[in-house]
Order: sequence, then structure tokens, then C-alpha cells
Amino acid sequence: MFADPAIWRFFGDGLVQTLALSVVSVVLSFPVGLAFALGRLSSRRWIRWPATAYVEAIRALPVLLLIVYFGIKGSSLFRPIFGADFELPRFWAGVLGLSLYTSAVLAEIIRAGILTLPRGQTEASRALGLSYPQTMRFVVLPQALRLMVPAMMGQLTTVIKDTSLVGTIGVFDLLRQGRTIYTQFFNPIEVLLIVATIYFVICFVLSQLSRRLELGSVTREAKIRMTELELRDQAA
Amino acid sequence: MPGAIAFEFPDLFFGGLWLTVQLSGLGLIGALVLGTAVALMRVSPIAPVRWVGAAYVEFFRNTPLVVQLFFLFLGLPLLGLRFASDTFDNIFRAAFVGMALYHGAYVAEVVRGGLLGVDRGQIEAARSLGLSYAQTLREVQLPQTFRAVIPPLGNIAIALVKNTSLASTIGVTDLLFAAEIVESRTFRAGEAFLTATLLYLALTIPLGLVVNGLERRLLVVR
Repeated sequence: MFADPAIWRFFGDGLVQTLALSVVSVVLSFPVGLAFALGRLSSRRWIRWPATAYVEAIRALPVLLLIVYFGIKGSSLFRPIFGADFELPRFWAGVLGLSLYTSAVLAEIIRAGILTLPRGQTEASRALGLSYPQTMRFVVLPQALRLMVPAMMGQLTTVIKDTSLVGTIGVFDLLRQGRTIYTQFFNPIEVLLIVATIYFVICFVLSQLSRRLELGSVTREAKIRMTELELRDQAA
Repeated sequence: MPGAIAFEFPDLFFGGLWLTVQLSGLGLIGALVLGTAVALMRVSPIAPVRWVGAAYVEFFRNTPLVVQLFFLFLGLPLLGLRFASDTFDNIFRAAFVGMALYHGAYVAEVVRGGLLGVDRGQIEAARSLGLSYAQTLREVQLPQTFRAVIPPLGNIAIALVKNTSLASTIGVTDLLFAAEIVESRTFRAGEAFLTATLLYLALTIPLGLVVNGLERRLLVVR
């Protein structure tokens, strides 16, 4: 059966869904994560506290819980806005669950990156007359974001692995396509090995790349902090 | 009151919570044992042993846990290993093995980092003082490693608690599965998932506070 190109097209369709989900989720999470990272660093308590609560609560939850919730409840959440017969496409329910989680993780990575920079940089910029937003935009973020590139690539591999959970809410991603195939042909071992190999090749290449990419010099403490973040937010 | 639905279906919610706790605890023990063994393989002086350790770590870290769970659940019975899908005990066993294998790979990396973090001079000094490889490992390297690896291992434990929710995809009636069952019976998705959320937070937030405390106390910057 593996000689049949139709089978491989079937895997290919799944792979496209998996990659699309990962990219869309990461792209959507980044601005949200940045906003919450800045919120957590804000000197105003009414911004800092809700931002902290959001990040800490979402990071403490299983990503599958968020995905299943939006899979079941997603449509009715948006009905007050889009009308009574609105159906949230499953793809976007998956994106919503993944992005919610990823945005909280990215917020922590960005915050760690910002805190890594020596305080003197911020103080010097402020003393030179730059406003807080200007300091962030022209001094802190350009350096901090460069430090974070490896950690963010690491997070991308986690997101790719996490997309395998959307099969539970009926998105036909790589794993779900594989499940359809092995239910048909009753060969779960071969099919799951193929699926695992595809995930492995993508994630292994990305994680090797992220190890090679060391832009700017990172202190040892910052490196420890980043690794621990990665460990904690490692979902499936 | 949020969470009140837990008392309408106590068997499902608290039974599910208990399974989540059991799977987390057993999975963590399995991951620690396996991970430490693999870490020792990875610093072994024998090259093929190192390669096997490295292959294990890279494979299990770079494939999704659900794929591994499906493989254990469906594949192993076909290979003649008896995690057959007929009884609940067997599903739970497959989930346990999956948790230990996946998180063991992360534990191995952390422990290896801890072992390599010990100054080479100390190891050379111990060897030249006449301690054997095993003695050096036990008396010099491991005690220092232990201190360095506790906080990152705590982070893996938190990830493990969250990841046990994936066992619901192969049929373990854990906390998440309980919420799904209650939702399908009552159609009160909001309440059911809020309750599961609160119960998960009750597990992971205190664990996170403990880990943060340990981090502050034990962080050694060499």
C-alpha cells in the first residue's frame, strides 16, 4: 500500500495542516506574548498584576485542555459577535488553543530576555532623554529579541509537537491522517513510525539550528533561566 | 459557585484527579530512574554506549508524546508485548511507560548537564588520588550534580503533570477525560472545563511555587 502515491498525498495533506497550524499559531502568539511581557514589566500595578495572572495561569494548564475547550465551546463563544449560526472552523479552534498557550510561554521568554540586559542600558537611555517606549523600541528590544532567537526556535519545535493534539478536535493534521490510514489498513506500527519520523526530521533540524544560533553573548545565568523556561513549558 | 459541578459528579472529577496524581507520581519516578541511567550512558567512556543514549534522547525529545502514546497503546500489542487494549490496567500501564520514556529523555539531558558541570580538575584529582571511575562518580560527581539538577527537574515535574492529560487520548479517565465525560452528559462545557482548570491549577501552581523557592535557594552559578 505504501507504493500508492495516494497514501503519500494523504500524509502530505496532513503535514500541510500541521505546518500551517504551527506557523499561524506562532505568528499570532508573538505580538500577544510581547504585550504580556511588557505588561509584566510595567511599573503600574493594574497592568502588571493581570498580565502576571494571565501568564502564570495559562502556563500552568495542559495545552490539550485549552484545545479541547475551544473545540467544544469555541463556536458558542463567538456567537454573540458573529451571529447565532456561527461555526468556528476546527482549524481556528486549534489555533486559538495553541496560541493562547504559546503566547503565555513567549511572554515568559521575552521577559527573561529583557531582564537579561544590564540595567545600565535602560538607565543610560532614560538619562539621555529617551522616553520609556523609545527606550524599549530602540535600545532594549532590538538586543533582547536577538538573545531570544534560540529560545523561540526551541518553542517552535514544541508548537509543532503540540499541533499533534488537534486531531482530538477533528483537525486533519499529520497524526490524524495517519490514524485514518492505519484504521483502514490495520498497520499502526508502520504508519506511526512514518509519522514519528516526519515529526522527528522537522523538530530535530529545528532544534539543531536553534543550538547553533547564538546571536550576541548570553550570560550563564540567562542561559540557565532560558533552559528552565523551556523545560517547564515543554508540552507533548 | 465555580467548581460546584465537581460535587455533582464527585466520582468522575475526584477519581480523575486521583488518576492524574497517580500517573504523575509514577511517571516521575520512572522518568527519574530511566533519565539518570541514560545520563550515565551519555557520559560513559565507551563510545557505542554514548551513541545509544544520544539516540534515545533525540528520538524521544523530537517526536510528539501523543504519537509515542498511540504507538505504545496500539503498536506494542501487535509486536507481542502485552499492553493489550482490553483492560483499563493495561491502558494505564501504557500511559505510564509513555510518560516515563518521554520525560526520561528530558531528565537525561538535565542530569548530563549536571554531571558535565562538575569541574574536570576535580575528577582528574580524584582519579589521580586512586579513586576508581565508579568511586569518583559516586563520591565526587553525583553529590554536586544532585544540587544543580533539582530546580530543572522540578520544572520537568510540572510539565509532566500537565502532560498526563494526553493519556486521555488513549482512554485513561484522568481529570481532562472526566471533564469531557461530564460535558457530554450535561452540555455544561463552561462549568466542566472551569472545574478541571481549577483542579489542574491546584496541582501545578503550588508545585511551581516550590520549584521557584528551590531555584532561589539552590542556584549555583559557577
